[in-house]
Amino acid sequence: MPDGKAVTVLVADDNEVAQRLCRRVLEKAGHRVLTASDGQEAVNIALADAPDMILMDVAMPGMDGLEAMRQIKAQKPSMVIVIASAHSMAGDRERFLAAGANDVLSKPFRLNDLTAVVDKLVGGGHPA
Amino acid sequence: MRGGEVEPVSPVPGQPSAPTPSRTEALVRRATPYSIAGLVALYGLAAGALSLAGLSGLTAALVLLVGLVVLLAAVVTGVKRDARSVAATVERESKVVRDSVAWVRTALDHADVGMGIIDARGGWLHVNSRLGTMLGRSEADLLATSLPAVTAESLSGGITDSLAQAASSPDGGWKAETLQVRADGVAFPVSLSVTPLSDGTAGALTFLVQEIDISAAKRAEAIRDVMVAVRHVVATSATWEQAAPAVLSAMGTELGWDVAQLWSADADGKMLRLRQSWRADDPRLFEFDRAAQSMALPVNSGLMGRAIQSGVPAVNEEVTATSESQIGEAARRAGLSVEVACPVTVGGTVSGLLVLFGRGRRDIDSEVMTMLSMAGSEIGQFINRSQTTVALRRSEADHRAIFERAPMGIARISAEGELVEGNTALLKMLKHDIETLRTQAWPELRRAYDLAAGRANLPPLLAGISDGGSVQVRAATGDGRWLWLQLSAASIPDMKGRPEHVLLMVEDVTAVRETQDKLEESLSAQQRANGDLEKLDRTKTEFLSIVSHEFRTALTGIQGFSELIRDGGLEPDELRAYGGYIFNDADRVNRLIGDMLDLDRMESGRMSIRMADVDINEVLSDTVARAATASSMVEFKPDLDPRLPIVTGDRDRLVQVVSNLVSNAVKYSPEGGTVTISSRAEGGYALITVADTGLGIPPDEIVLVFERFRRVRSGAAQSIAGTGLGLTIVKQIVEMHGGKIWVESAVGHGSAFHFTIPLAQEAVTPSMQLRHA
Repeated sequence: MPDGKAVTVLVADDNEVAQRLCRRVLEKAGHRVLTASDGQEAVNIALADAPDMILMDVAMPGMDGLEAMRQIKAQKPSMVIVIASAHSMAGDRERFLAAGANDVLSKPFRLNDLTAVVDKLVGGGHPA
Repeated sequence: MRGGEVEPVSPVPGQPSAPTPSRTEALVRRATPYSIAGLVALYGLAAGALSLAGLSGLTAALVLLVGLVVLLAAVVTGVKRDARSVAATVERESKVVRDSVAWVRTALDHADVGMGIIDARGGWLHVNSRLGTMLGRSEADLLATSLPAVTAESLSGGITDSLAQAASSPDGGWKAETLQVRADGVAFPVSLSVTPLSDGTAGALTFLVQEIDISAAKRAEAIRDVMVAVRHVVATSATWEQAAPAVLSAMGTELGWDVAQLWSADADGKMLRLRQSWRADDPRLFEFDRAAQSMALPVNSGLMGRAIQSGVPAVNEEVTATSESQIGEAARRAGLSVEVACPVTVGGTVSGLLVLFGRGRRDIDSEVMTMLSMAGSEIGQFINRSQTTVALRRSEADHRAIFERAPMGIARISAEGELVEGNTALLKMLKHDIETLRTQAWPELRRAYDLAAGRANLPPLLAGISDGGSVQVRAATGDGRWLWLQLSAASIPDMKGRPEHVLLMVEDVTAVRETQDKLEESLSAQQRANGDLEKLDRTKTEFLSIVSHEFRTALTGIQGFSELIRDGGLEPDELRAYGGYIFNDADRVNRLIGDMLDLDRMESGRMSIRMADVDINEVLSDTVARAATASSMVEFKPDLDPRLPIVTGDRDRLVQVVSNLVSNAVKYSPEGGTVTISSRAEGGYALITVADTGLGIPPDEIVLVFERFRRVRSGAAQSIAGTGLGLTIVKQIVEMHGGKIWVESAVGHGSAFHFTIPLAQEAVTPSMQLRHA
């Protein structure tokens, strides 16, 4: 069991494989994982279940991750949201930070990077 | 040309006109009793004397003279014969007669006509005072000379001859015009009447001579002739150079001058030079003329200077050795003694001088001066006119040359809109002769002008006086080419300011216009290309972004799960599951790469399709059978037309199209949905439809379904996997076969994809079409 304290992470991603990967990695690190498959679902869960942080994909059907983030931050400005996107062209990272993301995780990512960003922002401990 | 010598006033020698005997004379001749004769004579004398006051004509004078002479003769004869018997009576009567003679003499001496009696050789026997005055001599001087002696030298012989002839036939008298010369040498014209007197006692023949000075009438006549001649010359000459010799000649001959010259100042207005001259036929005048031609006289000195300064004719009646000017000196050497300079004024300023030289003495009275002034003014006006005419003619010649030789087409259009003339350049440009230009091409061109002017908010061609606009019109040439013409109109007003005609300048701007069009075309092509490039650039960036996103999404699973496996400690079922995820994503990456390469080859035209006869029904059946094996969740409904002819196509590619559409239909269909596959022939094409009862496509996405990476992701379709390139590839393949693809869809009711493939050529015979219809 890693040192960091256990938190609840909402994984919002339309890609089932990505959801499963994140769940497997975060649960192994001792965190609770909630999942959403599009932006609207992410907004609903974020407001209803008050996760400690949200791992948000951008390209999702219907409401995309950036719009979901805007709506969530509008109601819960303190909500920690990390954008996890396969969009990694030049300027994308800055674009997401400017939109209000607390951090940006580029896909594909190293598994340690995923746990580290959770610990850094909400876990309070240090990575395993 | 007539000789310069003054034309003699011809006497009529040899043709003496018989004077009509007066009634009084006849009575006197028949009377035998001298007393009766004397009474009759007295009666005649009294009658003549009584009528004298009222008679100024020759008749009265004649009556008086004849009466006097007859009376004297009668008295003398009577006295001789009857001296002794009627001495007392005679004494008494002679007193009466003497008184009468004195009285008659007084009347005679005061007559307005010069009278005298000459002997047969012309010697003066008696003269009245008027004759003395006329001839400028005293009575005594005159009595010492003769009629021929006071006649101009050239005419005196004629007088002598006429007297001799009259002497041989005493009844003949005669009249003539001749020239008398005064004591001071001035010649003047007179009307001369010579009447023989009866010889009476002495038998010596005498003549009564009457002279009337007609110089005033002659001068008036000459002046009139000169003016007529000057006006005639001026009216019939085109230029002053042409008119000048005739005018100078008329002045010289009609007025009796020896030299007539025209002088004018140099351009700088300082020196006068001889421009034209006329002279009488005399070698001395030739020298004078030559000398004058080489002279340059200051404009402000001499007689000419005086005339220029005063603006009126100036006269030098005595050209002497002391004359101040060099022309005066030359004139004197040529024997010329009188000089008249008359200013020629043009528009109020003196532009030249008419100068006359003559020999001998002559009276230059105010009439001559007036005449010279008038002639000068007439000539001045003529010079003015002829200068204007010359300028006009030159200007017209210039314009004509411009019109004819201008490289630009020029047409003159009447106020009625008719083409009056067109220059050579215009005819050449439009490849018309003047007649077809006038009747056919011009009306077209005029319509085109007015239309173009209307579009450009310019007045029509004949709208009146305007600057005129410039318009470009299209016009056909005589040899069938089309030109762009630039037409510029200028209306030309008449004297009253109304439009008289229009000048139309025509330029062929076809080359300019075409270049301009090409430039504009290439510019817009350039802009289009730039736009395309920008769009292409955006598309490329967008494409790269999408492709990299697709790849990274697939790689997220591959990398993540393989990292988990690598780190170990997994259960066997976990390992199997993660291996499956990895495989699927890897497969997807592989398909993505394959689709992208296919699409690239199709779009760049590097993919060839192998055309052959294909039974499309068979392709459809096979695909449905395979799909049915793979999925049992939907129902397949084939609806194939068994009579459908074969098509021309690449079987493998057609299989790809049908598989893609069927697989999409299955993917987007709910469990228990139906996928219908139908085929039929329609207008030379096989029409294939793949319809599902699935989710349907929202209207705003329908137009995008064939674009790459445009998967329908809304609603329940979100979890459906695909490369996003399938339909793009399908569309490419159908179009490469010469067919079309389109989609009909309604959300919640499913979608129907239709495509056509051309039937094989031999299948499309009229009979086949008929059979399948």
